[in-house]
Amino acid sequence: MITIPYLTAVSTYFSYGLLFAFGQLRDFFRRFIDWWLTTNLHGYAPICLGHEDFYIRRLYHRIQDCFERPISSAPDAWFDVVERYSNDNNKTFKRTTKTSRCLNLGSYNYLGFGSFDEYCTPRVIESLKKFSASTCSSRVDAGTTSVHAELEECVTRFVGKPAAVVFGMGYATNSAIIPVLIGKGGLIISDSLNHSSIVNGARGSGATIRVFQHNTPSHLERVLREQIAEGQPRTHRPWKKIIVVVEGIYSMEGEICHLPEVVAICKKYKAYVYLDEAHSIGAIGKTGKGICELLGVDTADVDVMMGTFTKSFGSCGGYIAGSKELVQYLKHQCPAHLYATSIPTPSAQQIISAIKVILGEDGSNRGAQKLARIRENSNFFRAELQKMGFEVLGDNDSPVMPIMLYNPAKIPAFSRECLRQKVAVVVVGFPATPLLLARARICISASHSREDLIRALKVISKVGDLSGIKYFPAEPKKIEQTKNDIKLD
Amino acid sequence: MYVRALPTTDVNRNTEWFTYPGVWTTYILILFFSWLLVLSVFHCSPGIAWTIVHLAHFTVTYHSFHWKKGTPFGDDQGIYNRLTWWEQIDNGKQLTRNRKFLTVVPVVLYLIASHTTDYQHPMLFLNTLAVFVMVVAKFPHMHKVRIFGINGDQ
Repeated sequence: MITIPYLTAVSTYFSYGLLFAFGQLRDFFRRFIDWWLTTNLHGYAPICLGHEDFYIRRLYHRIQDCFERPISSAPDAWFDVVERYSNDNNKTFKRTTKTSRCLNLGSYNYLGFGSFDEYCTPRVIESLKKFSASTCSSRVDAGTTSVHAELEECVTRFVGKPAAVVFGMGYATNSAIIPVLIGKGGLIISDSLNHSSIVNGARGSGATIRVFQHNTPSHLERVLREQIAEGQPRTHRPWKKIIVVVEGIYSMEGEICHLPEVVAICKKYKAYVYLDEAHSIGAIGKTGKGICELLGVDTADVDVMMGTFTKSFGSCGGYIAGSKELVQYLKHQCPAHLYATSIPTPSAQQIISAIKVILGEDGSNRGAQKLARIRENSNFFRAELQKMGFEVLGDNDSPVMPIMLYNPAKIPAFSRECLRQKVAVVVVGFPATPLLLARARICISASHSREDLIRALKVISKVGDLSGIKYFPAEPKKIEQTKNDIKLD
Repeated sequence: MYVRALPTTDVNRNTEWFTYPGVWTTYILILFFSWLLVLSVFHCSPGIAWTIVHLAHFTVTYHSFHWKKGTPFGDDQGIYNRLTWWEQIDNGKQLTRNRKFLTVVPVVLYLIASHTTDYQHPMLFLNTLAVFVMVVAKFPHMHKVRIFGINGDQ
């Protein structure tokens, strides 16, 4: 539930209207000018149909310097951002050799495994020397090493399911698995704010897709009842299979899914649950085991648990955990397993070592410390931002916190001014978010120290004042009580 | 002062913005301010200004709602490439609140323009033609209809 000041909503629509109008005007003149220029591409079909590149050319390119900034160090709490300049109004960029050391508030480095780690990195280097950087083969041919087998066993232990299969890319895990699990004649009910990998996988499967209102189990129940009663479109035969797809933490909202209610509803109507824990595995829960541990849901109730290793484990790839029959079926059918190159062995070793640190099997309690630190950091940062008057989304304990910007002009303003003050943030606008709801997304890491966070808060407060995004009234600072208060006995 | 934005179930990012609060007000305010702008630039009578606003509104909305097909970004891989914006909103459901509002606005503009020009001739003819085309284009029966193949697909 997002609360927008009415005037901000009206001015945001007006700003986008103005930007679109100017874009159309420039396109009109460009078409006129291009008609006069000769081209040697007569007879070829245009690359872009219609005006599907309008947004990229006329709106995104204007603020392109806020996105895709190259970095030249590991994504630790502080990192080096390469400075670049543009001679043609942000259409192309030239990199310089100068870098600026900025505070990293954008990487998904939740547990701090994104840089040198005293347990993980030596083991990764050893595995690189022994197995080399790539397996150069798919899992079925020659790409399964002992490390891969150990990794799958580690994942099953960590997630709490009988079996697991690991893939080389997190996005490909979703988009290649969903078509294997369900096809024409099936029904996929997905949350309206699901990630585009799930949307792509669902569209590629050929099943009918229905959407329920974000994180609203009552609407999910209504959609399920309606769809079960109607059956397949046109023939009205019963559905072959129904899968409900939800995410653990929604990356654009920072909200945690209402998993117990969703699981209860799916059990009642006999639908399968597919849980995408990309952002929640390793980051929430008392021992980092994700949303099932946090909300007390039995992992046996969730049929397919998917997750990625890019966020909390500092590596690459994704996994699917489920029953033994499911995983065996996937290993025989999924193209990402049969044909795609397997996950590189050093990356697999990084995941194994990270899991061992989190579970405390490396002999220290660094894992527990990291989990406690990320929880403290997230709660502290979110509370302070809300006290300053920013509109921050997301639930408590979630390390992702979007700060609402709304107006399209505030997107580059916030991003550029923060970079000038040596804080690197990620800003997101249309079409990744709804048109009205542009935001700056902050990801807190366990490697941020308290001083880093306080410094970030100071910078964000100043930039927030400059760009006018403190939409809520700030809480007044409490007057410090003096030490000689009269004690009442 | 504050208004709550409920998340919608519309997956089409091209039309989903129309379901958030504040759109109708912005639309009406833009029309009103463009009337003031026309009055101040052309120094004409209020009636002629409303006629100009009405005809400009007709051109702009006909072009963007009923002529341009598809979406201005490529993320949806072209599944809406055969549908105009009017056919895309509310997932193709007819006679929703948004559609009724968008049908009423040109009619109200027509009435204001005709009244303030005292129903005099060249303006009345142009205004009537514009509102006739606009309202017919928004009929539920015209969903996905391409008359004489105009604006059809290749």
